[in-house]
Amino acid sequence: MKGITIDEAAIVMAEADTVATALDDLEAGREFALSGYGFAVGEHTVALTEPVAFGHKFALEPIAEGDLIRKYDEVVGEATRDIEAGEWVHTHNVESTRARPGTDDGANADSEDGRTPTTEGER
Amino acid sequence: MTDSEVQRGPDDHSFRGYRRADGRVGVRNVVAVIPVSVTASAVAERLADDAVEWVRATPHQMPLDPPEGARDQIETVLEGIGANPNVAGALYVSLGTERIDADALADGVAATGKPVEALTIREAGGTAAALDAGAEAVERLTEEARDARREQADASELVVAMECGGSDATSGIAANPAVGNACDRLVAAGGTGVISETPEFIGAEHILADRCASEEVRERLLDAVDRRERMAGLMGVDFRGAQPSPGNQQGGLTTIEEKSLGAIAKGGTTPLRDVISYGYRLPLGGGFVVMDSPGYDVESVSGKVAGGAQVVVFTTGRGSTTGNPIAPVLKVTGNPNTYERMTDNMDVDASRVLSGESVDAVGAALYRHILRVAGGELTAAERHRMAEFAINDIPPKELAALGDPT
Amino acid sequence: MTPEMDATQGFEGYARDERAPGVRNTVVVLPSVICSGVVAESIAERVPEATVTPHDHGCGQIGADKDQTRRTLRHVSENPNVAGVVVVGLGCETLDSEALAADLSVPVRQTAIQTAGGTDEAIEEGIAAAAELVPDAREGETKHEQFTLADLTLGVTVSDLADSTVETVNPAVGALVRRVVDAGGRVVVGGFESLAPHADSATALTVDAQTADALRGALERHPQQGRPTPLRRSAGERDPTDIALLWDHDPLVDVLAYGETATHDSGVAVVGSTGGFEETATALAASGAQIVVHGTADGVPTGHPVVPVLKLTGDPGTAAALADDIDIDASSAGTDDLVNAVLATADGAETAAERHGLTSFAVSRAGPSL
Repeated sequence: MKGITIDEAAIVMAEADTVATALDDLEAGREFALSGYGFAVGEHTVALTEPVAFGHKFALEPIAEGDLIRKYDEVVGEATRDIEAGEWVHTHNVESTRARPGTDDGANADSEDGRTPTTEGER
Repeated sequence: MTDSEVQRGPDDHSFRGYRRADGRVGVRNVVAVIPVSVTASAVAERLADDAVEWVRATPHQMPLDPPEGARDQIETVLEGIGANPNVAGALYVSLGTERIDADALADGVAATGKPVEALTIREAGGTAAALDAGAEAVERLTEEARDARREQADASELVVAMECGGSDATSGIAANPAVGNACDRLVAAGGTGVISETPEFIGAEHILADRCASEEVRERLLDAVDRRERMAGLMGVDFRGAQPSPGNQQGGLTTIEEKSLGAIAKGGTTPLRDVISYGYRLPLGGGFVVMDSPGYDVESVSGKVAGGAQVVVFTTGRGSTTGNPIAPVLKVTGNPNTYERMTDNMDVDASRVLSGESVDAVGAALYRHILRVAGGELTAAERHRMAEFAINDIPPKELAALGDPT
Repeated sequence: MTPEMDATQGFEGYARDERAPGVRNTVVVLPSVICSGVVAESIAERVPEATVTPHDHGCGQIGADKDQTRRTLRHVSENPNVAGVVVVGLGCETLDSEALAADLSVPVRQTAIQTAGGTDEAIEEGIAAAAELVPDAREGETKHEQFTLADLTLGVTVSDLADSTVETVNPAVGALVRRVVDAGGRVVVGGFESLAPHADSATALTVDAQTADALRGALERHPQQGRPTPLRRSAGERDPTDIALLWDHDPLVDVLAYGETATHDSGVAVVGSTGGFEETATALAASGAQIVVHGTADGVPTGHPVVPVLKLTGDPGTAAALADDIDIDASSAGTDDLVNAVLATADGAETAAERHGLTSFAVSRAGPSL
C-alpha cells in the first residue's frame, strides 16, 4: 500500500490501478506524464478535463460504463457511465459493487470462501 | 497524581505502567464510575465531575430491563470496563431495580484484585443521598488508587485498539498504512493489535480472509461481515447510504470498497489470529485480532476498551475529536489541512507520507509515540477532556432475526 | 409541599411569539452529534442561563433512524420552554448542524468543531453565540403573563405497569388529565409499549376511524415486534381500560411518531416511544409539552433539561426510599393536589428533579448502529 507519487500532486496506489488520487486541489487542464512508472494503463499523458479536489480521484485511462475501477490493485467500484481519461471519478459516475440489499457477493469476493448465503426474509 | 511520570526504558519496546493485582498493566490510573442503567448515568456523571481529574464516568443509555439477548453484551461491556487494567478502582452505580445485577458486576471486577464498590440510589435514600454516599465511595477508591506506581513493562503487555473515524481519502493512503506499520511492530514485540468496525471490511474482507491464521478464524470473520451486511438489509436499510458517510464522500471516498480497502491497512500485515465478539476479553500476546463491532466509532472504541485495550490509535481524515473516559486516544491524521486547522486536537501528522516520507519511518515514530502515551504522555483528547462512551445495543428485531431463543 | 393555588388562578409564564407560553426560559446548547457533546457541555457550563442536551446519536445514521433523531432535535429546540438554541456540530456527521440550525424557527446560532478549527475554538464560539441569545432570554424574563391550564400541554407517562402504578398512579393522573382537558388544555401521553399488545382495541381507544387506523398502524409497525419488553409483557396481561385510565379513557385524537410535534387543539394525543422514561420525556418535549408528569414504581429520579418533570409513585417502598426525589405520593394525593402541583411548577416552583438538578437527555433509535 505504498503508492507512487506523480509530480507531488497525485498518487497512484498500485501499478495496476486505473485511477489516481489528487494530493492537492488540481485545476482543469493539469497534465500528468505517466511514463517511467510502469503503470498498467500505459505511458501516455493524462490531462484533467475538470478540476479535481484534494483526495478525489481522476481516471488514468478511458473507462467504459460497466467497467470495474481499480485502486490499491483491487476493485473499488463500477462505472455507471463512460468516463474519459482525466475525468473526475466519484459518486456521480461510480457505484459500489457491494452492499446492495439481497444481492450476491460482488466483484472482490472469492466464490469458494464458504460464506453463509444471504437469507430470505430480509426487507 | 498526574501522568507526568513519562519515562521510557532502555529498549525500544518498554514503557512504565501500573501493574494490577491480576498481573495486567494499565497505562492510566483511573477511578471509573460506571452506571448500570441509563437511570443512574446522571448520578455517575455528577460524581465524576465533582471529583478529582482522574475519576471518570462511563454514562450510557442502556435500559433498566434490557431484553435477555442484549443483556449479555451489556453486562460484558460493563464488567469489562471495570476490569480494564487502566482502572485502579471502580464504583458501580445503579437505581436498584435493574435487571442486571450490579453486585455481580462488582464481584466480577473485584475478582481481578482491584477495589470495587457498588452504590444503589434507592438504598442510599435518593439522588442527593446517593451523591453524598457516592462522593465518599469515590474518595475511598481515590485514596487506594494514589498508592499505585508505574513499573517496568513492555509492549507485549499492551492491547492497542486501532480505529478510523471521519475518514477521507488520506486515511487509506497515509494514516492507516502508518498505523498498520506500527501495528506490525507491536505484534512483533509480542503485543496485541485489534481493529473492529466490521462493516468497514465490506469490499476488503477477502484480503483479511487470506491472512486468517486458520480456517476456523476465517469462517468466523466472514460470518461476522455477512451478519452485519444482512442486518442492514433486515432493517430495510441500504448500507450504501451510510457507508461511505457524506463526510467520507466529501473527503474523496466513493464506495464502501474503497473505504474498506483503506481501513484495513491499519491492521498491518501479520496473520489474523482471532475474531472476538463485541466487548469480550481481548487476548494478551494475541497478535493481530479483530473485534466484531458496528462502524459507529464511539461504540466500536468502547467495545475494544471493554475488551481490555489500554490505548486507542484513531485515524481521522476529517478531524474527529473524540476520546474515551478510561483509555488514551491518539489522533492520527493523514490530511495536512486537518492537521494544520485542528493541530491542538491532533497527535500525529501522518500527512508526511503524502509529501514523501516513508510509511516505515512514520510508522516507527508512531510506535514510539504509542509507547510514550502508554508511559503517561497525555494525548490531545485527554488534554481537552474529550471522553465519549456508548454501548452497542442490539435492537430486538435483530435479536429475533439472529435466532435468539429467548 | 407546594403553594396552594386555585386552578382558575393559573400561572405566570413566558409569552412567546407564535408558540405556546413557556414555563421555563432556557437557552439550549444542542449538540447535533455525540462527538460534539463534550464541547456543548463546556459551553453550557460557562453560560448560567444555558442547559445542554447531550445524546449518543447523529453519527452513521441513515434513513428513518436519522430522520427521527433530526426531527426530535428540531422539535425539542422549538419547545415553548426554549428561549434560544446554539447548535453545535462536529462537521463530518450525517446530521448536518448547519442545516438543522437553518430549520429552526426559534432564535438560533450554530458552530461546528471542524469549521471552528478545534474543540477549544468551538467552545469559545459557542459561548459567544450563547451570549448573543441570552439578552433575548432575559427579556423573556420580563414578559410574564397570566396563563391558565388551557395554555398548557401536559405530557404524561408511566414507565412501568406495576400494580401500584396501574391501581394508584393511573387513576390519579387520569383525574388530572380530566381537569386539564376540561379546562381546554392539551395532553400528550408518552409511550406505545403499553398499548402494543392491544392493537385490536384501537377503535375503542380513539375518537374516530382515521385515528383508530393511525393507532393500529403505528402499533403494528412498532419496532419491538419481535421481542417483548417487560413493559409490553405486563401490558399484555392488563386490560386496555386499566391502561387507558392514565388519560381517563379520553378518546385519543391523534397519534404522533416519535419526535413529532403535537398539532391537536384540545384533548389527548399519544406519541410513540419504545424507550424508558428518558427517551419518552424527550418525545414529550418534542411534542410541545411544557411539563411532564412521570409515574414510576422504580422511582427513576432523573429530570429533563428542557421540561420540568413531576415524579409520582403509588409504591409505598419507593415513596419512602426516594422521598426527596418523588414529588407526589399518588396513594395519598387528591386531584386538587396534582393540579396545584402542575400550576405551581408552571409558575416556577422547582420540582424534586430540578432541586437535585440531574437530567438525562436520550433519543430513541429507529435503526441499528451501522
